[in-house]
Parts: sequence; C-alpha cells; structure tokens
Amino acid sequence: MSIRSMLKLPGQWLAQLGEQLDHIQIARRPFTWYLQGWRGGILLLLFAFLIPSMVSSFGDSFGLDQSFVLTLVTMGIYIILALGLNIVVGYAGLLDLGYVAFYVIGAYTMAVLSSGVISDANGHAHAFRQTPFWWLLPLGALLAGLFGVLLGAPTLRLRGDYLAIVTLGFGEIVPIVFNNLPYFGSVGGATATRPDPVSLPFGITFDFSSFLDYSPYYYLMLILLALVVLLVTSLRESSLGRAWVAIREDETAAAASGVNLVRTKLLAFGMGASIAGLAGVLSAATITHIEPGSFSFSISITVLVMIVLGGISSIPGVIVGAAALAFYDQFLSNRLNETLHSYSFVTSPDSPFHFLNSLDLNQAKLLFFGIILLAMILLRPQGLIPDVRRKRELTGIGEAPEELSVVGALEQEHGGATGSDINAHMTEYTGPGSDARGRED
Amino acid sequence: MILPLATVTAGDFFQQMELGITVGAMYALIALGYTLVYGIIELINFAHGDVFMWGSVITYFIASSLGLKSTLTGFALVGVIVFFLIIGVGFCAALNVTIERVAYRRLRKAPRLAPLISAIGVSFILQTLARLWRGAGGESFPQIFPTTSFSLGAVNISFRDIFIILLSVGLMYGLDTFIRRTKLGRAMRATAQDPEAASLMGVNINQTISITFLIGGALAGAAAVIWNLYVGQVKFDIGFEQGLIAFTAAVLGGIGNVRGAVIGGFLIGIIQALTILYIHNGSSWLDVAVFSILVLILVFRPSGLLGQQVPDKV
Repeated sequence: MSIRSMLKLPGQWLAQLGEQLDHIQIARRPFTWYLQGWRGGILLLLFAFLIPSMVSSFGDSFGLDQSFVLTLVTMGIYIILALGLNIVVGYAGLLDLGYVAFYVIGAYTMAVLSSGVISDANGHAHAFRQTPFWWLLPLGALLAGLFGVLLGAPTLRLRGDYLAIVTLGFGEIVPIVFNNLPYFGSVGGATATRPDPVSLPFGITFDFSSFLDYSPYYYLMLILLALVVLLVTSLRESSLGRAWVAIREDETAAAASGVNLVRTKLLAFGMGASIAGLAGVLSAATITHIEPGSFSFSISITVLVMIVLGGISSIPGVIVGAAALAFYDQFLSNRLNETLHSYSFVTSPDSPFHFLNSLDLNQAKLLFFGIILLAMILLRPQGLIPDVRRKRELTGIGEAPEELSVVGALEQEHGGATGSDINAHMTEYTGPGSDARGRED
Repeated sequence: MILPLATVTAGDFFQQMELGITVGAMYALIALGYTLVYGIIELINFAHGDVFMWGSVITYFIASSLGLKSTLTGFALVGVIVFFLIIGVGFCAALNVTIERVAYRRLRKAPRLAPLISAIGVSFILQTLARLWRGAGGESFPQIFPTTSFSLGAVNISFRDIFIILLSVGLMYGLDTFIRRTKLGRAMRATAQDPEAASLMGVNINQTISITFLIGGALAGAAAVIWNLYVGQVKFDIGFEQGLIAFTAAVLGGIGNVRGAVIGGFLIGIIQALTILYIHNGSSWLDVAVFSILVLILVFRPSGLLGQQVPDKV
C-alpha cells in the first residue's frame, strides 16, 4: 500500500462513519436533518448555553476551571471580530490591516465612560457621571463605526493597496495616541466599571461583579455573537451585500451598473468597524483593565489569519477558523508550552533536545500564524470551508468556458480595437447619464 | 493644543536638518525597494521592511561574532564597513529574491488581495523568526565609527553622517543610471509599463522581476548597514516601523517613481527631525506625524509629488 493511499484512509473511514451515522433516525427523520441550516444553529446555540454549567460540573476532572470560561469569552470576542472583518475583507474585498484600532476605540469607550474617570493634562484624575454598560454597547459600536467612516472616506477613492497601508498606520497610531495623551490614563491604561447585575423573571440574575464566575459574560458574549451572526448572514443576502460582491469582483463593472462605489465601500468599512467596536466594549467589560500596549498589530493580523484559514467570506468558515485559532492562541499554545517544558528530555542539560528548552511556544505562535497565512493563500486560497462564489474567484475553477464569453469573442474579431474604442467614447461623452462612474471621482 | 511649540535657535534648526537629511538618506534607500517592486508588479511588498531588519540582524550577528566592540580607524574601518556592506547587501538581495520566488510568483495572476496577504504572511514569519533567534529585547550595534566631527558655523557635522549621505547618494545615482542606461534597466521599465507587450518583445519577465527584487533587497541591505552604524538598535520590529515610514516616503514621492522615492525619503527624514525639534515631546509623536502625512498625501495628491495619475486598467 502506497503512502498516498494510506493518507487517504482516514478520509475514507470518516466517509464510512458518515454513511453509518446517516442511518440513525430521530423522530423518523435522519439525524443530519436536525443539523442543517437554522436547526443546526439552534442546536449549537443550545449546546453553547450549557457549556458554563458543564465546566462547573465536570471541569475539575479535565483540569478546567472558571478561567476556561474566560478563555471561551475571549474566543467569542475573536469570532465577533473575525465576522466583522469578514464584511470588509470578505464581502467587499477591501484589505483592512488596522482592524485593532476600532477594537481599541470600543474598549476605551467602555473603560472611560463606564468608570467615569478622565484625567486632565497633568494626569490628575477627575470623576464625572458614569454611563451604564447597556448604553455603551451601541455607543461604542457607533463611535468605532464613525471613526471607520472618517478614516475610510479619504482612502476608499483610491486603490485597495492604499487602504491596506493607511489602515495599517491607523492601527499603529491609535494605541500610540492613547498611550501619549494624558486624558485616558496614558501608559497605565484605563479600568472599566463592571456592568450592573441584570434580573430576569423566574429569579434568574446575571451578576457581572464576580471575578470567580465569568458565566454572565459568557452568556452576554453568546447573545452578541448570535446577533452578529444574524446580522452578517442577512447582510450577505441583502442588496447591499450583493453590491459588495459586485465591487469585489469588478469595481469598474459594478460602477457601470449603478453601484455607488464610495458609499458602498464606506458602509462595509463602517459596519466592520462598528462590529469591532462592539467587541471592544465587551472585551473591556470582561477584562476590566485595558492598556494601550496590549493592542498590537498582531491582533489585526491574527484576525486576518482566522478569516483566511476558515475561508474568506464564508460565514461558517470564518467562525470555525476564528474559534480554532483563538483556542490555540488563548489556551492550547500555553498548555503545549507547559507540556514541552515539563519533559525531562527537554529540561535536562545533557539531552540532545535541550535546545528546545529555550523555545517559547507562546512567542512562536505568531510564526505559526504567518505560516498558516502563507500556506493557505498559496495552496488553498479559498480556505477550509470555502464560500462557493469566492472559491471560483480565487482559484479560477468553474469559470465560464472561453467561447461563451461575448466580450472575448468580440475582441478576437476586431483585433482588440473594441476596447480602445469604448474607452474613447467613455472619455468623450460627458452628457447626462454618463456619470455612473464619474460621480465618485 | 497639548503640544506647545519649543523655542528654537537657528543653530538648533540646522543641526536638526543635518540629522533629518542623514536619516532621510536611509529612508530613501528603503523606499526605493518599495517603489521598484510596486512599479513593476503593483504589489506593496510588506516583507520589505523585514528584509531590511534581517540585514541589520545578520550584520549585528557577524559583528558580535567577530568581537567588534570599540571604534576603528583607517583601513580597518574601511575594510570592516565594506565587509558589512557585502554581507548585508548580499544577504538581503538573496532573501528578497527568494521571497518573490516562493510567495509572490505563483500569485501573479491571482486577485490583488492574494499577494498582499501572502506578503503579510512572509513579513510575520521573518519578524517572528528574528524574535525567536535574537530575543524580544533588542541589542545595540557596537559603535565602530569614530565620533569625530567638524563644525560648520553652529552645526556639528560628523564624518559618519558625511559617509552615510555619500554612500546613499552614490547608490541612488547608480540605480538611476542603471535604470535609464542599461539594457536590463530598459527591460525593467518595459515590464513596468506592460508585461505582456514586454515579453512579446523578448524581455524575460520572470528574470526582470527577480532582478528588481534583487536590487530592492540590495538597497535595503545597504540601508541596514547604515542603520547599524547610525542608530545601532537591532531589534525584530525595526523593519515594521522603518518600513512603514519608508513606504510613506515612497507614496509621498509618487509610488513607482524612483526619483520620487528619493525625494520622499529625504523629505520624511527632515519632517521627522523638525517634529522632534518643534513639538513638545515630539519623539513620541513621530509615527503619528508620518502617518498624518501619508493620509494628507492620499487625500490631496494620491499620485505623490512626482507620480502620474494612472487610470485603472479594465
């Protein structure tokens, strides 16, 4: 048996297992029926709702404590971030490399306004009226979205590459501004006040004040995540979503078909930014203390890697990619590092593998992310769970055959002269109705 | 505003201008790498800054292995600097060509987003490798250049700065001549204008693009040696910071335009120096100043100082 066919074995086993599973029926329907579409979503949500109680009941036997729930909250925040960035990078095809900036703006909105502490130019703290958390969720999203529009407006007229570099710069300077300005606690950062407890009917209360129990934050995260998933799913099917795809595939053709380029791009950019703001508010509420130094470029890139790994513009792909990488980033990498440094063949100085002792896997994870990014874009640009339409764009598979293309046929007949003729007409004609493209420029 | 202006004498001003021009020469060398690559394949080579950083790290590594600690004079100094230039230039050129071969060549026909993402991946890999190898703290390059200087009025000019400016300007002049006068330079210009037509005229596109990356990398290597002699702080993230500044310089001059990148580099150096001079606590606002310039250029003159507005190809 060749190595190649051996490598295929696990896949075959999985397929066989799948066939076996298909015969399982629940209430006279195959059980896979229950996993499809919205039913699967609800089941997943139900399962997710049970996780904190599962952790508190059996967590001990797996070495998991309440900090694991905090890890899950952070994972959820990353998934929200990835879904937001996916609007910009996936739907509209604009590369935003400073996504962390909007996250920072959301986090600082929460920290400064919930605690009601602001400093003067000399660094002395002054108290003002505290704002309740539930107002800050929309406010943080709104502010971040506003900054997104402000930053996007000058750059979205230009080609995509410029947007990448301007957002990169913006992502760098926003933390620097918070670091340098005396008003928001400068280097030391700001501390948010935790949300007030929420009482629901039937005696259910969510008490956000405990540092030992993060499950209220977990449920909050779950609700926000579900809302964001609903939002991005419906956006995708909306006319706006189709306009984004049109721009991504061919800007000129989209403009000629009456899509307002700048407005549509700005909407993508602003919506992505406000989702990051939302994630920032949630993050600051959970960890309470935020410092400008902890919001680095690597967060922007990590979120980008999540999208590329899962599948650009595919919602299930982005969720899975974000969950997997955030789990590795927040949990697995640390565990692996501890495990590596507990082996005697690594720690003992006589061992030939002693050089591994100086290897910090937590630092190496950025290397791992870089390799994923490069490998995915070179070998599987459509991601693990691809979006059908995007896959066609990125790999060129399944494109219309050459002879069906009308434009191609025309160009062949006229020896390429049509292209320049059309261009000549476009520049000459300036009368009414000609401004489908001109309006934006 | 919270940024009070400092009082400045004419002597301070010219002293700071001298600093700006020296740093600007280095920015110009890095910016040339961005602009050459953008000119030929319309890609922002995100990894370029990290190629520069690796040049700095490698020459530091060689210097510390050689046990260099104190200042050198005469032939020893010249020999060591030439040696470092060969190492830095050679390493960075080879690295840049390899990157193009591995990460960009396959994606030449892909959507624009793909090579850009690939470049970011390479940048991250290079940065983390340097961090894993040399640690996160950073090291300082030994001061091998004597600090002797002469004064011109109220301004002190060190021989090191003279050397840096002469070296950079020499390299830039060489590059300009190469692009305008030689056959390979003509091939580069042809490929930049229209790769398909150029290949029909017998230009080897792959080779030309490789040579562009080679030259860009070589200039980054020279800039890395200058950085080590001038600033001397060798750290895994200098490529990211200096790269962003140099990219701004390239955009300021008009990306794709070789002479524009040189002018942009010097201008950015001078603007930075004056930010330090005129703005209270200016050194912590340097990045903000550079970034503001970038946004202002993109708003008011996206083609840069010397660039031409090129319509999108349909």
